[in-house]
Parts: sequence; structure tokens; C-alpha cells
Amino acid sequence: MKFQLEGLSVYFPYEYIYPEQFRYMLELKRALDAKGHCLLEMPTGTGKTITLLSLITSYQLAHPEVGKLVYCTRTVPEMEKVLVELQELVEYRAKYYTGPGQAPPPILALGLSSRKNLCVHPTVAEEGTRESVDSGCRKLTAAWVREAAQKNPEVETCDFFEGLERAAVDAVLDPGVYTLEDLRQYGRKKGWCPYFLARHMLAFANVLVYNYQYMLDPKVSNMVSRELEKECVVVFDEAHNIDNVCIEALSVTMRKHTLEAAARNVLKLRAAVDKCKQTDANRLTTEYNRLVAGLQERGVLNPLPGGEEFVANPALPEDILRESVPGNIRRAEHFCVFLRRFVEYLKQRMTVQAVEQESPTTFLAQLTERMQIDGKTLRFCYDRLSSLLKTLEITDMDDFTPLHLVADFATLVGTYAKGFAIIIEPYDERMPSVPDPVIELSCLDASLAVKPVFQKFQTVVITSGTLSPIDLYPRILNFHPVAIQSFAMTLTRDCMCPVVLTRGADQMPMSTKFDMRGDEGVIRNYGRMLVELAAAIPDGIVCFFVSYSYMDAIVSRWNDMGILKDLMAAKLVFIETVDVVETTLALDNFRRACDCGRGAVFLSVARGKVAEGIDFDRHYGRCVVMFGVPYQYTLSRILRARLEYLRETFQIKESDYLAFDAVRQAAQCVGRVIRSKADYGMMVFADQRYQRHDKRDKLPGWITSHLRDAHLNLSTDMLLHVAREFMRSMAQPYDRLAIGKSLLTEEQANALGAPAVPALA
Amino acid sequence: MLGTTAKQPAADEPMEDAEEEEATADLAAFQREYEDDHSWEALQEDEFGRLRPLDQKEEQRAKRRRLLSAAASARIRRGMIRYLQVVVDLSQAAAIADMRPSRLAVIGGVLQGFIREFFDQNPLSHLGLVVLRNGVAEKLTDLSGSPEAHIAKLRAALDCGGDASLMNALETATDALKSIPPYGHREVLIAFAALSTCDPGNVLDAVKAAKQHRVRVSVVGIAAEVHICRVLTQDTGGTYGVALNEKHLEELVNEHAPPPPARAADAAASLVRMGFPQRNAEGFAGAAFVGADCKLGDGGYTCPRCRARVVELPSSCHVCGLTLVSSPHLARSYHHLFPVPAFAEVSADELARLQGCRRTPKAKPQLWPEVPWRAHCYGLDPQ
Repeated sequence: MKFQLEGLSVYFPYEYIYPEQFRYMLELKRALDAKGHCLLEMPTGTGKTITLLSLITSYQLAHPEVGKLVYCTRTVPEMEKVLVELQELVEYRAKYYTGPGQAPPPILALGLSSRKNLCVHPTVAEEGTRESVDSGCRKLTAAWVREAAQKNPEVETCDFFEGLERAAVDAVLDPGVYTLEDLRQYGRKKGWCPYFLARHMLAFANVLVYNYQYMLDPKVSNMVSRELEKECVVVFDEAHNIDNVCIEALSVTMRKHTLEAAARNVLKLRAAVDKCKQTDANRLTTEYNRLVAGLQERGVLNPLPGGEEFVANPALPEDILRESVPGNIRRAEHFCVFLRRFVEYLKQRMTVQAVEQESPTTFLAQLTERMQIDGKTLRFCYDRLSSLLKTLEITDMDDFTPLHLVADFATLVGTYAKGFAIIIEPYDERMPSVPDPVIELSCLDASLAVKPVFQKFQTVVITSGTLSPIDLYPRILNFHPVAIQSFAMTLTRDCMCPVVLTRGADQMPMSTKFDMRGDEGVIRNYGRMLVELAAAIPDGIVCFFVSYSYMDAIVSRWNDMGILKDLMAAKLVFIETVDVVETTLALDNFRRACDCGRGAVFLSVARGKVAEGIDFDRHYGRCVVMFGVPYQYTLSRILRARLEYLRETFQIKESDYLAFDAVRQAAQCVGRVIRSKADYGMMVFADQRYQRHDKRDKLPGWITSHLRDAHLNLSTDMLLHVAREFMRSMAQPYDRLAIGKSLLTEEQANALGAPAVPALA
Repeated sequence: MLGTTAKQPAADEPMEDAEEEEATADLAAFQREYEDDHSWEALQEDEFGRLRPLDQKEEQRAKRRRLLSAAASARIRRGMIRYLQVVVDLSQAAAIADMRPSRLAVIGGVLQGFIREFFDQNPLSHLGLVVLRNGVAEKLTDLSGSPEAHIAKLRAALDCGGDASLMNALETATDALKSIPPYGHREVLIAFAALSTCDPGNVLDAVKAAKQHRVRVSVVGIAAEVHICRVLTQDTGGTYGVALNEKHLEELVNEHAPPPPARAADAAASLVRMGFPQRNAEGFAGAAFVGADCKLGDGGYTCPRCRARVVELPSSCHVCGLTLVSSPHLARSYHHLFPVPAFAEVSADELARLQGCRRTPKAKPQLWPEVPWRAHCYGLDPQ
């Protein structure tokens, strides 16, 4: 359908539109008009992606001055999904376009991913990890390798890269939507390297789809997102964990073996420098002269175009000093010595007996006092290292990862005085007997990494199914959205049944509170509840526990009590483990058990891989049980440092933040079972604490609106009653006579979207 | 502990009071919704003091809808000669007492009613019973025509335990239906109480086999929608319903009494040889050994082909295998093929202009038969 939304023609590739999609578009359009950022929450299963794509591309059509749409996703499958939906949209638009001209302006959309996902080179693409593909690629495409190949045909290069280079300016993609697979096919057909082709085409694309990292992680974004124009619209989808992504992008963790490997790297580097001095001392001298001249820009460093580029500086662009590298590390030998000393210092710091926590300022002060290394030198550490590695023509970068980590650490410590903490722990708090020293540079302020994005781009859209409480996000990320809105799902039937279970069959309270979790009665009550639920609910049940250790403990107790045996009589039991392969296998068998009617229970952990990325739609998840409130490990130093920082900087109370974080995880977990409107599922919040308003009210609106009084404060037997009734009523034939109530036709949408009608929201 | 046990600020006690109040309110809401059984509220007394359900209109409407759909589907081909295997799930899930008095008793009662209804509507058809218990499928009765024999066997078999296995059920039922004559329609009706199936192999293979043998499998669920049942019924062209309560269960099961629409591929159209025996004289004059188990009795019927005597109609002759029916049986089966024409609603104004049988009706009837010539009208009050 094509309809008018306050004067904007919107192309929407379906016959009907949900009212919430319409309202979402309206809100989004107003934000775009106001050139401001917005924060929108709409539950999964309501077609958020197509709504976003449809409105923003229509907006681009009407306002050519708006730049690219940059769509950031968390995973590669999500990325592919976005591109497929866009393909449909573009086809639809081509068919029904009614604007100036014969055909709609062409649209070029492409997904960008790492070399691992895009490489078509027969041997390199077979490499296992991301790093090995990267370094395999560099070995074949670095400028000096290509130069050598020109002189000596024996030297191996990548045909695809050479093909792309030969095609030069002719190497363009025709307008269209390219998924990763399309890019690979196109690359194979033309003999062009898809990765570099995609990189090259970034500048010409109307829609870009890539990972969060490409936008948030300064190491990558400097390389990819730097050239994007200011008028771009940036969308972060599934952004409920965006603060954690931001923090991870600026945090560095080093263990003992990292430092040891870094020390070895320094030796290797030193050897390389010596060798280079003997064979081609000229190169080092040139580099030195360049550094003296302050020309540390990358462009100047490689006169020959090549695929060798390293990841960029870990600090944010505007924080990098545009000065020349300090004198004491200009010479390669001096720099090696400097690195050795710094690594030694870190190693020595690691030998502490008790936990130490300090700010970057104190760390620097001590460093200056003990090693006479000052902050400014540290700040250049990263650039100096990449410059040296390039000069030495080192291609197997993955060997140097530990040293890179050290350089990251040094640069970040040197650059930021605020918003970071350095924590040195001699052992893991949970296993004090095992020495496992670790130095962590932990970013405490999520707004740091995302600030340049907000500053640079005109409109940033943060959206997800669960962003509640929605007013906390602007505070954590420190920005001022022009629109904050949470949309509920319009449903033709009550296909969600959230319930709060507070008591066992014996009326004793149930909770995973610290003082109750070991209690025999609580464990038994939880177990009996699951057994009885398994007998009342068909096919798949998913359970989420607060942590691996708690799950291990409770499952082994259930085994002792004989509860596990009873559970297995009703359904098969599968468990998530830390091992990804094992978990995948368990998931696979879980699905098979659900498919063939045996029924199964999947036990997994909130914040785990399963909770974040796996859908339990349809019969795979008829019920999800959240055992307890998934608080973070509150004794963790990093969390405490962050809480303190939040309190001091943003005036966010510790308990508020913790409850917010726990409840959003819980909402994320239970949201796994409803992936479309035709789906149905029960959501059991099994903890006394969910009864309290401070927790319950933090749940997203689309859950609380279905949380009826009759489903609060239940005991196990009441829960069973509710479950049986719900399952029966949901099994009734689904009546699709809901057009008008939950779907809008073109005319209705037009009527609503007419500018005469005042605000709808 | 941080956060997890974060203390409430000063106003602790009023807070707790409020919480307690709320908990009571929640409990009341639960009871209102799930426990209070206000079944009497659904009844009302009419002027004669008789109790009638409140939503009588709704019931009538539903009945009318059924009739209409039957009339609308008059052109649909239906299988007259059905071979139905009824599978009863008597696993331990049938012992749950969420239906009153228990699922087992309800299923038993509903099925007995169904068996009678089935033979009433399909006198030419056959039915067999299979029971699921302890993980195996046990054949209770062979495919045959006598309702009372099935009911007696079913009554004797009503106890439950163990797991249910859909695969065994399907295999047993398919095996029995494999050998029936080509004009017969093969059907399986499963009353499924369990929520999972414990199979010795892959149940999907059994589904495939059933589909291959053109067996139409329908399921009536008693607890909830089970994915495999959905797949099973979709693949084989059957229906799947889940009962909300005792009454709904009865409705769902009885929906299977009228013959379902038949696909052309399901059974070949062919001529079937049938005998129309005559009833023998009652009393001493007719005394003879009757039926397969040679009971001494009077009456009975004589097979026109081999002169054997059978107890009741319809049945197949136990000597020569001829299908024995009486003409009313055929007529009863036929009414599914030629249902009563639908009534069209006529407004009172239009009705006033018409003269039913050349007389203006005094009462204002609502219904009017859809007949092309409106010379005669039925259903008018003669007053």
C-alpha cells in the first residue's frame, strides 16, 4: 500500500498495516523532520524492521538531501534479514512508484561485514577464524606484497583484489539490494573482491547495513564510518544492550598470558627491526623522518593502494591529538625498549595480592614516578605501533594481537582521565583458590563511545522490543532525544499470558534472593512447579536461571531430590553450557524433541547466548519460566565501579540501575517466545520480588498491559489452573476477522495520516 | 548485599500494608476469574418456571449455522461408507481431574454417545476401537457395525496408566484400515489427552505411512494444542480441535459423526453389492440360531444370498460377507448428500406482500424455505 503520512508518500509493501506500525512511522517521521534523535520501543513480532525501512527510504525519496540510511544490527543473520526485507520493499516500490519521472530513483543497498563473511578467495575463505582470514587477506593484498609481485611473479597475490584494482573506477555495483551472498556471487562473477568492492561502494550506497561495531567501536568506525556524511540517518536495532556494547568497545582486559605473549611480541619486533636495519635501513630512516615531520597520516604512509590497513586507533577521533609523535619513541629501537618496559611494568603490577582499583590519573602518576613514562607518550603508543608494523611490512597481524591489546590499553589510559577505571584482580572472586590475575581497563561511561555518533549524525534512532524503562536510556547514553515513545502491540486475542508466581504449592515464598536461594524448600518448590508445568504445557518449555552457577546447583539438587526424574518422565531436558558447540547441539535436539511431539524443557541462563539470540517461537516455546531476578553479579569490581560512576555523574541510584538492568534481561528472556502475532505463549516470572512495583513497573509496556490482577501473586496450583485455561483457549481456531481492529487498510491509513488530523499519539 | 536486598526507605510499613492489600486484591481477582463457578448465572427461569440457558439464541444461531453450512455444501462429495478407527488415549494424562468428575469418565461418556450417533448417521459404516495405554496401542474391537458391542467393550476397558504413543496408534489403525475395500473411506479419530507422545521410532514416518494409505486422521485434544497433532492432521487432511470444557469436547467429537467431505482420490467410486434382507417372524415360529456366535433367538434377518441368519441390521453377512442393510438405512445415509435446502430470511414487509398458500399469515414467521417458486410456503402457522 501507498499512503500519505502528513504529506509524505510512504511505500509499504503489504496490503495492511498495523496501527502501531503507523504510529511508529508517525513518530519517526516527526523525529526526522526535527532532525533529532529518537528512542522507540515496539515489541518484536510487529514488523519493526519493515516499518523503519519503509519510512526512511520513503523519506529519502521525498527529501533527497537526507543522506544514507545506516542500519546497525547485532548479528549477521539479522543483517541478512534486514536486506531481504529491503529487497521486497524495493521491488514493491519499483512497481507502484508514482512520483516525478518514470521510475523511482535507483537505490543501492548493501551489507558490510568482515572479510570472514565476504571473502571469496578459495584458500583464504576456508580459514577458521576472523583474525586468520584477515591476516590471510593481508598477506596477499598488502601494498609491499603487490609491489614485490610486480617484480617477481612467484609472489602470490589475490586475483580478486587485483581484478578489482584493474577495474579501478569501473568497479561499481549496479543499483539494487545486495545481501552478503549476493555480494559474494557478484564478486565471483566479475572476479572482484567483494569485501573491498563493498568498502569502495560505501560512499555511493543509499542504505548500509552493518554491525554495531562498525559504528561504535572506534577501532573499526574510524575506518568505515568516518566518511559518512552528517545528514545520515543511523538506526540501532535491538538496541536494548547498546550501553554494554559501547562499554565493551572501549574496555581492555589483559590476562597473564596476554602480557607474556606481548613480551614475546616485543622481542620479535625488536628482531625484525634489527633485520630491517641490516637489509634496508633506509626504510626505517624514512619512517623516522616522517615522524619527525609529524606526518603520521595513514594516506602518506602507503603510497601504493593495498588491502593491508590495520584497525585504527582505539580512542575516539576527536580525542586523538593531531601532533607529532613524541621524540622518545620516534626511533624504532627506542619504541621497542619503551614497549618492553611498559609490558614489564604491567606484569609487575599484576603480581598484587589483593584487588586494586584506581583511576587512570593515579595509574599515570605512578607510572611516571616508577618508570618515567608520561601520559603523552602512552597516548601515541597505538599509532606508533601500527606505523612500525607497516614499515616492517609485517602481515600476520593475528600474532601481534597481544601487543595490540597492550597498545590499546596504553592509548586509552593516556587519553582518558575520566570515565574509566583500572582494576587489577589477583583471582576471580568466585574461585579465590585459583590464581588468575587480570588487569582490566574498564570503561564506565557508555556515553563516551556513542557520543561521536550522536554529535555527528543528524538523526539516530535507537529501537528495540524492550527498552523499558525508556527514560533511563537517554541518561545513560547522555543524549537528548526529540521523541521517546513506547508502542504496545495490538492483538486480536490475548496471546501473551505473563504471570507472577510468588509461592509454592505449600504457600512458602519463592525467590532466588541471596538468603533464600540455598533453601531446601525453595529449591523443591521451584522443581515441583516445573514438573507440574511440564505436565500441563505441550511441546517446548524454556527456563532461564540467573546464572550458570545457580543453574548447576539447583539442577544437581533436583537430581538428588528425584525431581529431575519426574521432569524427564514428562519432557526431555536439555541444558545450556558455556561451550557453544554443546549448546548448539542441545538446541538442535531440543527442537527435534518438540517437532516429534515428545516435548522438551530447555534450561538456560539469562544473559547467555540463548537468551540473547535464539528464538523459541511457536511450539518451541509455549511457556518460558524466569527463575528469579537476573541481577548482575553485584560483587564484581567493574560493576561496582560503574555503579559509583553512574551515581556520581548521572545521579542514577545503584538500586535503580541494578533493577533496571535485571528487569530488562528478564524481559528479553521472556520475549523469546512471542515472535509474531499468531504465536502464543505463557511467561512465568517465578520470584516473589516481581510482585513488587519497583520491579514490575520496569517491565516493558507490552508485557505489563497483559499482566492482569488475577495473574499476580500466584501459587503453583493456581499457576497450573491458569496455564491449563490459557492453553485451551489459545488452541481454539484463530479468527482472522480482525481487519480494522488490528490492521489498517490503505484508506484508513490515509485518513489517519492526513495533516488535518492532529496528533494521534 | 548490594542492590538485591536494597532496603526500602523510611516509609517501610505503610508500603508493606499496601502490598498486603494488593495481594488480597490479586487473590480475589484470581478467584473471581478461575474458581468461582457461577454456573447458575447462565440459567434463567421462563414464565412456566422452567430453567433455560441464557444464551438460547446463541445456541439456535449455532444450529442454524450448521444447517446452512450443510446446505451450502450440498454439492460436496461425501463418503457414505466410512471405516473409522477411534483411538482413545487412556494414558495417565487421562486421569487428571480438571474435567468433572475426571477426564477418563468424560471421555468414556462422550465416546459412547458418539458411537451411537455415528451409527445413527452412518448406518453403512464401520467402526473399530483402539486404546492407548502404557505406551502401546491395544486393539479393543475390530472394524464392525454393531454399536452396542463397541460400547460394552469400551465400558469394560476404562482404566488408565502409562504413556501414550501416537506412532503405535497410527500404525495399529493404519494396519487395520489397509485391507478395507477401495470404496470405503479410511478415517482415524484420536481422542488425545496426553501432551506428549513416547514413541519407539519416528512418529513422522507413521504420519507419512498414514498419508500414503489415504487415511484421514483427525484429533480431538483434551488439554492443549500439541504441535505433532497439528502436523498430523494437516498432512492427512483431518481436523484438529481442542476442547475447552466437557460440553465443547462432546461437540468436537460429535462433529465427526456426519461424513467429512471426500476427495476424489480417497476412494474410487464403484458399485457396491448390498442385500436387503427381510425380518423373520417373531416368536416360536422364528426361533433359530442367529448370528456369528449362534445364539438361539427369534426374529433376526435372513441374508438374501446365502440364507444365513443375522441378528441385526446393518451388518455384513457372517457367511458370505454381503453387506446387509435396510432401505431406511440407505435413506439416512443419503440425507448427508441431499440436505434440506437452506432457509432464507425474509423481512416482515416482504412477507406481508406474499400470500402463503393464498392466505395472509397472521403470525410473522422469520424463516422461509429457499424454493424457486414461492407458491407454497412451509413452516407457517396455519392460524
